[in-house]
Amino acid sequence: MTARSLAADRRTSWVPPLPLIGVKFLELRKRRILMIVTTLFTVALPVIWYAIRLIYHASDPAHYASAGEPDAFAAVGTVMDEFGFIIATVLGATAGTGDLTDGMFRHLVSTGRSRLALYLARIPAGLAILLSLAAAGFTVACLVTALAHSPLTVGEVTPSAGAMARSGLWLELDLVIGYTVGLGLGSLMGQRTIPVILLIVLEIIITPRVITAHLPHLINGQRLFVGVAMAQLKPAALAGGTVITPQGGVTAHLPPMPTWALITVVAGWIIGWSAIGAWKMITRDA
Amino acid sequence: MTTISEHGDSTRPRAGQPAPHRAGHWAVEVHGLTKRFGARAAVDNVDLLVPRGFAFGYLGPNGAGKTTLIRALLGLTKADGGTMSLLGIPVPAHRGHALARVGAIVDEPRFHGHLTGRENLQILAAARGGNAGQQIGPALDRTRLTGRADDKVSAYSMGMRQRLGVAACLLADPQLLLLDEPMNGMDPAGMHEMRDMIRGLADEGRTVMLSSHLLDEVQRTCDQVAIVDHGKVIRQGPIEELTAGAGAAVEVQCSDPPAAARALGRPAFASRIAVTEDGLTVTLTGGPAREQADEISRRLVGAGISVYGLRQTHASLEDWFLAVTSRFGEEQ
Repeated sequence: MTARSLAADRRTSWVPPLPLIGVKFLELRKRRILMIVTTLFTVALPVIWYAIRLIYHASDPAHYASAGEPDAFAAVGTVMDEFGFIIATVLGATAGTGDLTDGMFRHLVSTGRSRLALYLARIPAGLAILLSLAAAGFTVACLVTALAHSPLTVGEVTPSAGAMARSGLWLELDLVIGYTVGLGLGSLMGQRTIPVILLIVLEIIITPRVITAHLPHLINGQRLFVGVAMAQLKPAALAGGTVITPQGGVTAHLPPMPTWALITVVAGWIIGWSAIGAWKMITRDA
Repeated sequence: MTTISEHGDSTRPRAGQPAPHRAGHWAVEVHGLTKRFGARAAVDNVDLLVPRGFAFGYLGPNGAGKTTLIRALLGLTKADGGTMSLLGIPVPAHRGHALARVGAIVDEPRFHGHLTGRENLQILAAARGGNAGQQIGPALDRTRLTGRADDKVSAYSMGMRQRLGVAACLLADPQLLLLDEPMNGMDPAGMHEMRDMIRGLADEGRTVMLSSHLLDEVQRTCDQVAIVDHGKVIRQGPIEELTAGAGAAVEVQCSDPPAAARALGRPAFASRIAVTEDGLTVTLTGGPAREQADEISRRLVGAGISVYGLRQTHASLEDWFLAVTSRFGEEQ
């Protein structure tokens, strides 16, 4: 078999090669406005938040608590979670539709490369951008919490390194969900705006209501919401004033779910939407 | 600086030579291809054979099914029936292998506008794999885009985008190029440049299948042609043979051309009658042109039309195309 035929055979593989992931990373990274907004909500937001708190505390320690207090950590984590999820959906939907709307989809399919590989390349490419920026922003929160805390009031506990790590992983998992759902929905619909609107509505309006609602007859329906599962997986350090369970989660008004069910729901959303997006990518007329 | 390798097939037939009928000779082989959109057949049971090493025109009016056939060949859309092969490899069954040496432009070439021309080619080279990345420089040189390769594509003119499309094709070091309306939206200078580029690629032994509705461009660029209309291939062969079979034309200078056209009616020897500024152009279906010219003259004089001159000309591809496609009927 010649080198050329080997290359041709690799093109039919569903596994995206590193160069393909690399150029998709490049394509997303070069979207200037998207990158500015992503950086703003993942890195700049905690930096500005803590900078203001540090200045306030330095100017008047009697009135303003230290920037590193646990409530501030929880608040920053929540804000990064909300905005991060939204920007993750925008980035995912952009990755899912950019080739199509820019007219590159035909060129790419015409190379003979597996459509599934073209789709799968978008996942690590976009997540590499999103997760690295979110990690940078969250590291700022961890550093300030660790280094700039003052004597705590009774009952307050400074998050341990393990709690911070769990919080960071939970935050990253939430962004993975936002990105993959945005990617899948964007690929399915072939456009970016409506998927982003739908996911913002899900995150900002529907999920909070589903979490707090008492729906005895629809409790299994509630359990299918990824936001419900993620709320139960939320580490105590990010939970703020909510009641902390012995397992470290929060139980506000959430329908009880065993761990396997929580993992199944989260994995189902990630894998399910990825599969839907891939199916559309494979069957779409180019 | 490296150059695109001239892999060319040394046995490539010269333009106009009859194609040898042997297995694997065809660059594109299509049998009974059908593609429907709802009740409408965009491609209707098409048989098409494109010989290797030729510039082959796939000619038809807008909406005739040209782009749909190319999209089906490339696996961009799924055919409803029929068999296809590219460079002797069945598609879509072995699509990845078949497209390894195929370059294509489908419709207007569009790219990521926020990236440079070079970055767009890097994306396509990564998708192709192999040594496609090494072909970026030579492809940019060949299409004279090297100087603008690091500009964003959003700043490119239509002609530059078309050339970038050709550069993308060259990444495959292609044995076969499928170019769908590559001269759309180009100015005359751009069309001239593109024509030379296509001719150059064909002269290297690469097969170029050029889909177009621009008859003049096809006639200048291609050796062979297939005419498609309403989703069907209605004629196929070397241009000289096809237009020769279409017969000659007679240009008539006369008074009152519209009345002259009415006076001639639809004689059996004419496939098309066009009213011009100073007379008529009558495309003949064949047979002895002198006798048919006599008949035209007799009919016009008999109807009281003054005939100032008659001149026999050879039918152009356009005359023949209009004679054999539905456009003729639409114009009458």
